[in-house]
Amino acid sequence: MNCRFGLALASLLLSSWPLAANAADTIKIGFPIPLSGPVAVYGQPVLKGAQLAVSQINANGGVLGRKLELLVRDSKANADEAVRVSRELIIKDGVDFLVGTVTSAEAPAVSTVAKENKIVFLAPVAESTILTDPQHIHPYIFRTNSNTDVEGLASATEIARWKDVKTVATIGPDYAYGRDLIAAVVANLKKLRPDIQIVDQQWPKLGEPDFTSFITAQMSKKPDAVECAVFAGDFITFAKEAAPLGYFKMIDNRMVDSGGVGTIEEVKALGNDYPYGIVANTEDPVIWTSGNEPPEHAKYIAALRQFTHEQYPPSWAVQGYLTVSALADGIRKAGSTNSDAVSKALIGMTFDTPIGKRTFNVKFHETFQPEFYGTMVKEAAYPFAVMKDPELLPQSYTPTN
Amino acid sequence: MSSSFLFSQFMGGLTTAMFLFLIASGLSLVFGVMRIINFAHGSFYMVGAYLAWQAVQWVHPTGGGFWLAVVIAAVGVGLLGALTERLFFRSLYGREELYQLLFTYALVLILGDAAKFVWGTDQLSVSAPPALAGSVQIFGTTQPLYTLFIIAIGPAIAFALWLLLNRTGAGRMLRAAQMDREMLDALGANVGTIYTLMFAVSAFLAGLSGALVTPIESIVPGMDVLIIVQAFIVVVIGGMGSLWGTFWGSVIYGQVLSFGILIFPGFSLFSVFALMAVILIVRPWGLFGRPL
Repeated sequence: MNCRFGLALASLLLSSWPLAANAADTIKIGFPIPLSGPVAVYGQPVLKGAQLAVSQINANGGVLGRKLELLVRDSKANADEAVRVSRELIIKDGVDFLVGTVTSAEAPAVSTVAKENKIVFLAPVAESTILTDPQHIHPYIFRTNSNTDVEGLASATEIARWKDVKTVATIGPDYAYGRDLIAAVVANLKKLRPDIQIVDQQWPKLGEPDFTSFITAQMSKKPDAVECAVFAGDFITFAKEAAPLGYFKMIDNRMVDSGGVGTIEEVKALGNDYPYGIVANTEDPVIWTSGNEPPEHAKYIAALRQFTHEQYPPSWAVQGYLTVSALADGIRKAGSTNSDAVSKALIGMTFDTPIGKRTFNVKFHETFQPEFYGTMVKEAAYPFAVMKDPELLPQSYTPTN
Repeated sequence: MSSSFLFSQFMGGLTTAMFLFLIASGLSLVFGVMRIINFAHGSFYMVGAYLAWQAVQWVHPTGGGFWLAVVIAAVGVGLLGALTERLFFRSLYGREELYQLLFTYALVLILGDAAKFVWGTDQLSVSAPPALAGSVQIFGTTQPLYTLFIIAIGPAIAFALWLLLNRTGAGRMLRAAQMDREMLDALGANVGTIYTLMFAVSAFLAGLSGALVTPIESIVPGMDVLIIVQAFIVVVIGGMGSLWGTFWGSVIYGQVLSFGILIFPGFSLFSVFALMAVILIVRPWGLFGRPL
């Protein structure tokens, strides 16, 4: 009781002294993120990364002398729900910025809320190009992840390296992300290797519980290699059903999966059922087997390990971490929490991340983030597949239109 | 199109079908006897999958002990079903169907969040039992042993359920309860116990199918909702409450999906939903159901 009374007195005193009161105020970041349903697999680690960034920044005195505060809401990976909680965060909780969402359904929906309310919104995961294309761009939207065009180029680059491959099949989930990504891979492959033919395209639905018919149909076309956009839980199902059918053996493990199945989350879940030998990608391989791990990454992983109490912390955390760091840098550069000023500061800004420097493109407000690609191999030191010699791809990217 | 290719498409369709039947059979059973549309059936399936994963971790974390895990999961979910019936469903009989629907939907949300609380949001996976991890060559196609096992277990369960309903005393009671519950009660039968048993069997089947899919499917939050939609399609195609209807509904669903993707490769969902739409227009009570 005494303590509470003391606090009340202190806050009364402080509020009569405007400058100090201001310093005690936090900078509020609304964080709509899927925490239930299948997409929570991404939402949870992204949130952890963001929380780590906030705790580190606050431990170092915050931003402009003020602490950061995350206001987390479950967006349920649903555009309507994401919009509802974002509006609530702005109107009721008075957040200064929005960071969050995972799917390409949520992010563009929240982007319109950000535009209406003139509040800076950074999307850490969504990859659909429509988020920042010329029809949808506005001063307040920023993206820190890769997009499907960038991923398409990177994956086509990997496939093109298999010189003896003449026929390629594709399999991807039947919705915007899968369709856009596969289209981008095919378009880039046509440029890089005009001799390669696309012999089969399968479109199972998202959350497909049984891929068997899609797999056997694809095998009947006898492709030399496969471009796969199946990811997360669906990839576990797909891999476990495809292996005993002889699918990976038939293509000699020449598959590029662009859906981020090189993550710790994925390899941990699949264990020894992982289709060793395929090429996978991830925003952060977490484990560097080759020993050329960037020192800033090692430092980040050590902190993340301590924060999550996991020996092998999740790959997706890095997107939450680097997005909050970018926002903090933007606020510092702007010298204010006014969204117009922060937007101006972010455009063209270069910032440090555990996986290298990134710059927000002036026209598209995104970093065209390359991702790590590599062959997934078994190593005695780990109970799951690890990425051999992670390589950032594409090496360079020039946006069209 | 070679005949071996057509055969492998057929087997692929059959695998899909038997998985769906395992899940849909319990759903159909509870509707047929108790007239309850149990949305939470998919949640029991999900709990079965998580329990199987948990049991594998306890028994033998490197992949053995799968069969014990299946038993633990199926019995565990069966008990959960019995408990749910005793505590909650009991007070809903005879009320409007809307209340039952709302209640089972509430169960979906509660069990979904409970699973998230206990097992987190990470995707989980269970390896196939070593004895069934390989595959065999049939007609020049590669057939995984595990899916052959599933294809065998589907009809076995259908037959066992048919025996239970048509050749046992308990089954006779169940069919009587379906026709006139009050009369059966008046004749001195313990209808309450019959219903609890019925519900437990249905939940057992859900738990069993949840556990049996783990070697070829991922365990993720939301798997409950994804599966219940498909199970409902199968039950609607076959006819609500008809066991064989559900069986053939599953077979048709599997084959239409499997061969549909050959005809309309870009539209995997089209054929299945088109089929359901046609059946609903021509025979609203389903292929094997009776007009209401």
